[in-house]
Amino acid sequence: MSNKHIIGVFDDDQKLLTAVKNLTQHKANIKDVYGPSTSHELIKAFTRESLLPFLAVLVAIGTIIGAFGFLYYTSVIDYPLRYGGKPLFSFPPMVVILFFLTILVVGGVSVIAFLGRTQLFPGKQPVMIDPRASDDRFYLVMDQNFNPEEIKLWIIEAGALEIVEKEIDTQTGWGF
Amino acid sequence: MEHTYKPSTLIKALSGVLILIGVLAVIYGFTSDPARTWSNMLINNMYFITLAIGALLFYSMQYITDSAWSALFQRVPLAIGAFLPIGAVLMLLLYFGLPDIYEWALPGITETDKLIAHKEPFLNLPFFMTRMVVYFTMWIALFVVLRKIASKEDSSGGMDPFIKSRYYSKVFIFVAAISFSLAAKDWIMTIDSHWYSTLFGFRAAVTSIYYAVAVIILIILYLNKLGYFPQLNTAHRNDLARYLFRFSIVFGYLWFMQFLIIWYANIPELTAYYYPRFLGEWQVLFYAELLINFAIPFIVMMSDVVGRNKIVMPTISIILLIGLWVSLFLQVMPGSTGELQFGFIETGMWLGYAGLFIFAVFTALSGLNLLPKNHPQLEESIHHHI
Repeated sequence: MSNKHIIGVFDDDQKLLTAVKNLTQHKANIKDVYGPSTSHELIKAFTRESLLPFLAVLVAIGTIIGAFGFLYYTSVIDYPLRYGGKPLFSFPPMVVILFFLTILVVGGVSVIAFLGRTQLFPGKQPVMIDPRASDDRFYLVMDQNFNPEEIKLWIIEAGALEIVEKEIDTQTGWGF
Repeated sequence: MEHTYKPSTLIKALSGVLILIGVLAVIYGFTSDPARTWSNMLINNMYFITLAIGALLFYSMQYITDSAWSALFQRVPLAIGAFLPIGAVLMLLLYFGLPDIYEWALPGITETDKLIAHKEPFLNLPFFMTRMVVYFTMWIALFVVLRKIASKEDSSGGMDPFIKSRYYSKVFIFVAAISFSLAAKDWIMTIDSHWYSTLFGFRAAVTSIYYAVAVIILIILYLNKLGYFPQLNTAHRNDLARYLFRFSIVFGYLWFMQFLIIWYANIPELTAYYYPRFLGEWQVLFYAELLINFAIPFIVMMSDVVGRNKIVMPTISIILLIGLWVSLFLQVMPGSTGELQFGFIETGMWLGYAGLFIFAVFTALSGLNLLPKNHPQLEESIHHHI
């Protein structure tokens, strides 16, 4: 399969939205969408649910279990020291530690997961599909696993200004 | 688009029947066990005053934060405040039952109890009643002002009522946050007159919004089912559900903060409050309070999609209304009567108060336009989306 991609250029986010709706209706796989501003309707039309919240919940549960085990090990098994007349294993003082550890670990893991998913890291060169993407143009990127002629037709129908075909190296990002 | 609301005969009949049950419960209570009846009266007064103050705090919060999304149904929290005059009368009636509830109000207690004698300059009958009158005067006056501005907005429109509402919202939040936390300390915390907690009043004032939002949700969904608020969309419900979720965390945090410090420090005066609740016969309710008010809403409302469901949202709200009762029951009863009793007096009196509450709120709702048609943020609220 070639790395050729079809890129639709739009001057209006509503036109882009109709194109995205057209394409998702026909189950064509949209690679990505670029634009100078966010549109909530566009994100909804994309129907790509983020998995980050579920990851956060899983990591939170894991952290609570792990931190509880660690606290139990340190305070009861490894170094049983009785203070304040409290039992060796007492839950209330653990709650605060569990609470803050959970927030810390989930926060860190979420950031790292987000950066990994979006292929961002500190010091990365920004890749742009076109200089105008940060100005006033909207871009719709499709790969050619569908019928290319039909895709072009739908993009034109929605009111695209032009259609560009470009080779894109998908492994290292958008090499323009 | 329907602008006004008229209570159906069903609501009127329901509130009438509930009030009747309440009157029967009060009569039965005073003939069989007056002390328990007075304590229940205090619980229910505090319960519905909490809802009224919380709703008005919610209303004011929307103004001072310039929140447009809630403008659509802002008359509902305003109407809930209409319970305050009824609550004031019922609270003042408690004057006749003070020695049955409060240890410090017993005649001659200052001679035998040194700690209460030390607190006497603050905890004495005339000053206690004066404070009560002052609190209610301030709350009712501010409620009347807010309501008058709202009614003026309906008739004349323009930006002037909005700016005035915002100003008086600031005043109300300032006044109510301080006076309601003091009131909670006065009315609830002094039952265990040797015990004190700095956090107590703050907790009562902050969590009042939590329960008020639950009531607001129930009323809005009820009206929506009747065909009012046709513009109410998923985004509105989503934001209301988020309120419940956030406040469940606040509740758990404050509840635990109060407990942990006393548990850790282990000072006899303070642990005397938690001993019967944490280890004695009230233990089941102690854990139930945390489960109902924190754990269940926290876990269920965590997902937005589940939280804004039209069945889940009212269910959680009803659970929270039970939670507020359990919470107040646990704060009042061990100190006042000291006996764990649950029967017709408890249920009947709560139902009676609920009847009064429904009567007051739905009458107030019909007094003003249901839809604030001249509110400058109404259009934005109708098209609210996230």
